[in-house]
Formats: sequence, structure tokens, C-alpha cells
Amino acid sequence: MNITKKLTALFLSAAICLSLAACGGSPGETEVKDSVVIAIGSEPETLDPTQGWGHGNAPIVQSTLVRYNSELIFENDLAADYTLSDDGLTWTFTIRDDVIFTDGEKLTASDVAFTLETAKAAQGSVDLTYMESAVAQDDTTVVITLSKPTSVFLNTLASVGIVPEHAYNDDYGRNPIGSGPYKFVEWRPQEQIVFTANEDYYDGAPAIKNVTVVFMSEDAALAAVQAGQVDVAYSTATLGTTEVDGYHVEAITSADNRGFTLPVLPDEGKTAESGAPIGNNVTCNIEIRQAIAYAIDRQQIADVVLNGFGRPAYSENDGMPWNNPEVMIETDVEYAKKLLADAGWVDADGDGIIEKDGLKAEINCIYPSGDSVRQAVAMAAAEQVKEIGIRIDVEGVSWDEIMQRMFSEAVMMGWGSAIPNETYYLYRSEGALLDDFYNPEGYMNDVTDGYLNAAMEALTVEGANENWRKAQWDGTTGTAMQGECPWVWIVNLDHVTYVRDGLSIGSQPVHGHGHGLPLIQNLQDWAWEK
Amino acid sequence: MKRIIRIFFTYGIKILSLLLAVSIISFVLITVSPIDPVQQYILSLGTAVSPEQRAEIENYWGVNEPPAERYFSWLSELLRGNLGESAVYRRPVADIIGERFVNSLALMLCAWVLSAIIGFGLGCFMGMHKDRLPDRVLKKICYILSSVPTFWLGLVILLVFAVGLKWFPIGFSSPIGVLGGDVTIWQKLYHLVLPSFTLSLMSFANIALHTRQKLADVLNSEYVLFAKARGEGKWTILRRHGLRNIMLPALTLQFASFAELFGGSVMAENVFSYPGLGSAVSAAGLNSDVPLLLGITLFSALFVCVGNMLANLLYGVIDPQIQEVGE
Repeated sequence: MNITKKLTALFLSAAICLSLAACGGSPGETEVKDSVVIAIGSEPETLDPTQGWGHGNAPIVQSTLVRYNSELIFENDLAADYTLSDDGLTWTFTIRDDVIFTDGEKLTASDVAFTLETAKAAQGSVDLTYMESAVAQDDTTVVITLSKPTSVFLNTLASVGIVPEHAYNDDYGRNPIGSGPYKFVEWRPQEQIVFTANEDYYDGAPAIKNVTVVFMSEDAALAAVQAGQVDVAYSTATLGTTEVDGYHVEAITSADNRGFTLPVLPDEGKTAESGAPIGNNVTCNIEIRQAIAYAIDRQQIADVVLNGFGRPAYSENDGMPWNNPEVMIETDVEYAKKLLADAGWVDADGDGIIEKDGLKAEINCIYPSGDSVRQAVAMAAAEQVKEIGIRIDVEGVSWDEIMQRMFSEAVMMGWGSAIPNETYYLYRSEGALLDDFYNPEGYMNDVTDGYLNAAMEALTVEGANENWRKAQWDGTTGTAMQGECPWVWIVNLDHVTYVRDGLSIGSQPVHGHGHGLPLIQNLQDWAWEK
Repeated sequence: MKRIIRIFFTYGIKILSLLLAVSIISFVLITVSPIDPVQQYILSLGTAVSPEQRAEIENYWGVNEPPAERYFSWLSELLRGNLGESAVYRRPVADIIGERFVNSLALMLCAWVLSAIIGFGLGCFMGMHKDRLPDRVLKKICYILSSVPTFWLGLVILLVFAVGLKWFPIGFSSPIGVLGGDVTIWQKLYHLVLPSFTLSLMSFANIALHTRQKLADVLNSEYVLFAKARGEGKWTILRRHGLRNIMLPALTLQFASFAELFGGSVMAENVFSYPGLGSAVSAAGLNSDVPLLLGITLFSALFVCVGNMLANLLYGVIDPQIQEVGE
């Protein structure tokens, strides 16, 4: 009896100990993760903002004078305040005086001036050709003089991270120091870059403490996801349909668009300087261009060609604050047919292709060979346009050949920028028929030019956006498809990303062109769910 | 000794003229390639570029100068020992090659040794069992392996051993998230296994098939028949009469495979995200980074030449007949 009691007591206490131990162990298991591994397709060439690092995104390691929020509206970052002179030429920035670089040195106005002057001299990807000078007046004031009013200057500033003048040398791009939310730790070329959280970041230390960015092709990245070795992986519309346990796919809206240019000039036997013929007698008719625009079922192309990882595109900048929402059109095959019939295009000989005055509505659409997405989008669009009696022959050619043929034939192109001046280069008369691929269709319109110039020289962001929108559609004309229709926009590609369940990648702003780097621009907003 | 000096001298001239030809041909090929480097660079920026900015970028890439002028300025810099600066990475080409070559060398060396051992061993085995069941099966396997593209084989191996069985890492030369100083040699070797195995699969089939045929010829010869008559065993015959005779074709193939190894490593490195010259050269090619591409091409040509030269030197050591003919 006694022994039984003792044994029971012993047994019970052992059980209690065990359960206590189990309780003691459980907090360890639910410990909050604070590191992520991100697989992206392309490795940055440098981490030096003056040579292009972070251009179009946020530089992470460095901080910028102003930055975008997730709606792409500007907010102050390093800047405490800024003013612009009435002639639009002199910007005066006052910067915060509580910011230190991760090596402990203070960030001053002279670092800002040094950064801008260095970026201008680098002849790299940062366009500061219009900047005359940047001068630090005292520790917190920097005065920047421009040669002409430039409304996109703020956009440029939002992507140029400030580098420390005292620690800048030839090796800076491989071993940067900055004042951003993350600190650079190590870069092993073609393998990985390691960042850790900057605990002294002036906006509060980020939740994710350790970040490893690895570089692998999309196929390899999918394999890494299946093996559970990465938390986030950049993927493609083709691969994104594979379901992987423990991961979900996020389709991030991008302005990475595809559409074709249609020559607006008639073929009068003229040629450009390079000898390339100019003009096309079919597409120079606005009813042809608009009929194509209205006949295309964009949603269907996004669903079929891009596996649903795409959205209909109606302009070069859908979803951006400077986009005019009125550019959207509904697919309307009957309306397209009516446009053509009203203008006198009929299928008299019954071969399924309409003609007018003996001219058949047949055009070529060329795309850079090897680009399977452009090819598929062009083929699908050509198939749809067949229904209204217009024949489009799709052909893949080299970039050299595109340059020879783009002034006289349709070209499947892709643009998409986080900076609004792209619209200016795409549609200004001065840029028509240049070799830079922006305006091969030869679009020239005084009204549009007026809005574009006003937008480029506007003194406020609102004033600029107002004019960008009017350039697209002001109620009577514009670059939109219901306007002059020099472009038929078709789809915006989504940026397909695998994300491990339980990880929040924040509210991603609309991505520009680019293979994965835009993904990490809001790294400080990422967090693991508890 | 005299012979070696003479070989070095004649090879030196041959190599120099070859390198010159290689550089001219690759330069011409890049110049006529349909990729416009400036356009490629601008597309990768993802932002609009003003004509002034475009002019500056064109100026930086030097695309407006005539090709011949560009080539000669590159050549004169090269003669002074300067390989130039990579347009994409904005760093000296020599630095990039040095950095990447260490990784590639480890990969290629492992694959090379592996393919030699497997190929030669398998070839001997097949030759000794010619036309019997194990030989017939292995021969089929060798045919299949030598006709399958490396990158496809690499993907299959990746899916089976890294994704399915999880025995090996998914890629790279060291573990994800571990800093360079903390990586051990064992971790590096562990990461080398799959890529080097894939790469060796490419060339061992060739060596095995040639060795098999040569050994079969030797075993059919009259002196082997005589040896058999004297009562020598299978292994003794292989050791005394086979090895030296079948070594030469294997050696030739093994050293000639330097070129294939370089080509194959481009594929293998891309599949296994392995940081080496192979992935650098594909990046350079896709971006029309002329200095980097020319630098790597010259370097790999040199590498292959040296491989062939070593083979020639070794011939003399293994087969004294060749040495005598040379003298």
C-alpha cells in the first residue's frame, strides 16, 4: 500500500516535471523568425547609387531625399523640407540632422551634393544631364540648380541613394556604407548578398533582421522553392502555375507592358537617315488602328497567354498616379467593324480580308525573335483581329532588322517605367522616327506636345500629373486608343512571386520593368506572422 | 630537356597566333550580333532615357567609334597587360576572371578527374567483357549519355537529388546565408558534388567507348594470344599489354575534353547557379559586354591550348616511340 502510494507520487511528479518541461520548451518552437532568403533572377551590377544601383526602386542600403509610398506618392525621407524657386530652376532642400551612416559618421548636406555631382559625372543610368550644380550651403541645406525646369527631378531623387563622401572610393559599389534600413554585410558575386537590419535606422529598425538575396535562374528558383530552401522567389507566368506546398503565389501588378506600335504616317516613298522606309498605307488610317484596338480581347490574352498572370493594358502607365483612367476601352468587335465599314473598308472579293480602293488590310507585326511572351501576345492578337477582316502576319526578327522595319511596320514592344517622363519620350514630335525605339510610329501632334512640355516643366507634382493625363486624353484628342491611337496596348505582365506561407511582403507598389529587384524595395515593411 | 624547350617555343608561337585569330573572330561576331548593347542596357534600367542621356551612355560604351578603331585600341591596351573594364560590371575584366576562375577551376578539375576515372575504368571493364550482357547494357547507357544535352541532364539530376531526395543542396558553391569566412572546405566540396558529377557525365561516355574499342583490339592481337598461350591471367594481360596501349586514346580525349568542359560548365553553372566563368560569359554575351566577353574567350582559348600542350608532352612520357619520332 505504502509502496504503491510512493510509486504513484513518484509517477505523478515525474509526469508533472515532464509536462512542465514541455511547457518550457514550447516558446522556443514558436520563436518568431526574423530572417528571409530571397531568390531573384538578375544580380545587380553594383550597389553604388551613383552608378545606377536602386535606380527606379529604393536602394535599401542607402536612403534618399524623398521616397515613394506604396501608392507612389512622394513623402520626405532624408529631406525635412524642400522648396522650388518660381522659375523652376533652383531646388533648396533642408535635410534632417539626426541621420548617421552605419559607420557612425553624420550625414550632411555635403554628402548629398557629392552624391548628385558624382552621379552626373558617372554617365551611367542616372539621368542628371539637366542638372547644373549641387552645392551644400551648410550642414543641412543643399541648393541644386537645373538648366531647365524638370518635374521628374523628384522622381530621380527618389531613387538616388545618398553615399558618404568620406567613405567613397572605387570599391564602394562592392562594399557600400549608407544610412538606409539595411546594412550591407557581404557580397559573393553570382551567389548571394547578405544584409542585416540597421538597428539605428531613423525610421525604426526593420522587423526582418537578416536578409540573404541569392541569384538564380527562374527554373532553379522554382526548384529551390520545391526543396524549401528559399522563402521568396521571383518566377514567371509560365512557371507560376506550379503549386508548391507551404508557398503561395503573389501576382504583383506591374507597368511592364506589351503592345504594338502602328505607323501613323502614309508611305510616300520617304526614308529615314538610316535608309529605313517610313510609313504604312494601311495603318496610317485611324479607323484601322482603332478597329484593331477595339477588336482585341485583352482579358482573354492575359488569361490564355499569361496563365492569368497579367492584366489588360490600356496605356504605357496603367495604375500610376499620372495615368488617366479614361484611357480604358471595352472590347467591341461590332464597333470595330462599324468603324471600318463607315470608312469604306469592305471585303468585296470574299477572301476574309477587307480592302479599300484596291488596298488590302494586311500588315506585318515584327517582334524580337526569342522573346516568347511577345511572340505569343502578338499571335493571339493577330488571331482576334482576323475576325474584323484585318490580317496581321507575325514575324520574329533581330533588333537590327527591327530598326530597319519599325517605321513602316507594326512592332510588338514593351515599356513600363516608374518615372512619368517615359510618356514624354514615347509621344513627343521631336522624338518621332528616331532610332531609340520610343516613337517609331511617327506620332506628331501639336496638342500632345503642348501637354507633354507643360508636364515636363510643371512646378508641382499635381500640375505635372494633370498634364500627363491630358496628353493621354483631354476629352477630344490624345495618345489614347480612342484618340489618335498610335499604340495598341494589350497586356501588363504581373510579376509572379512565390512567397512562403506566413511571410508578409508588405504592400508592393506597382513594379516597373526589372527582374526581381523591385521586389525588395520595401523590405523594411516585410514581416513574419506570429 | 631540349625537346621540351622546343615544344614550348613552337607552342608559344602557335598559341599567340591562335589567340589573335580568336580575338578577331570573336570581335567580329560580337560586332555583327543582333544585340544592341546600349538598348539592352537601357531596357534593363526600367526607366525612360532622354536623348542626351542616351548619347552619354553610347559614348561610355563607345559604340559610335568605327569597329576597327575599337579593336585596335583594345588590342594595344591588351599588349600593355590591360584587359579593359567590363561595361556591365564597371570593374576590371582581369579581376572578374580571377574571381570566377577559382570556382570554375574547382568544378572543372573535379569533373575532369571524375570523368577520367569513371570513363577509363568503365572502358576497361567493357573491353574485357566485350559483347556480353554487362557490356551491351553499359554501351547503351554510354550512347544515351553522350547524346543527352548537359543542361537537361543537370535539371533531372537537380530534381532527383536536390528537390526529391534532398541529399544535396540546390546550387551555389556554399550554403545560403553563411558568410564567406565561415564556409568550410567540406561544405564547398558538398556543393561541388552535383555540378561536377553532371559535368563529368558529359565526357566520360566518350572516353569509355574509345577505351573499350582499343582494349578489344589489343585483346584480339596476336601478342595477347601468345600471352594467353603462355598462361598469363586476364588481369596480368590487362596490366602488361593493355594499359599502356589503351592509355593514349584515353589521354588524348581527356585533354581534348578541356574545350568541352568549358562549354559544358556554362550549362552546368547556369543550372546549378554555380558562380563561375560559365555564368559570367553568358551574362557578358547577353549584354554585349565586349571587353568581358573577349577577355573570357581569350582566357578559355589559352586554357584549352595549355591542355592540348600538356597532352602532347605526356605522350612522350607514356609512349617512347612518339618521343623518338619527335627527335
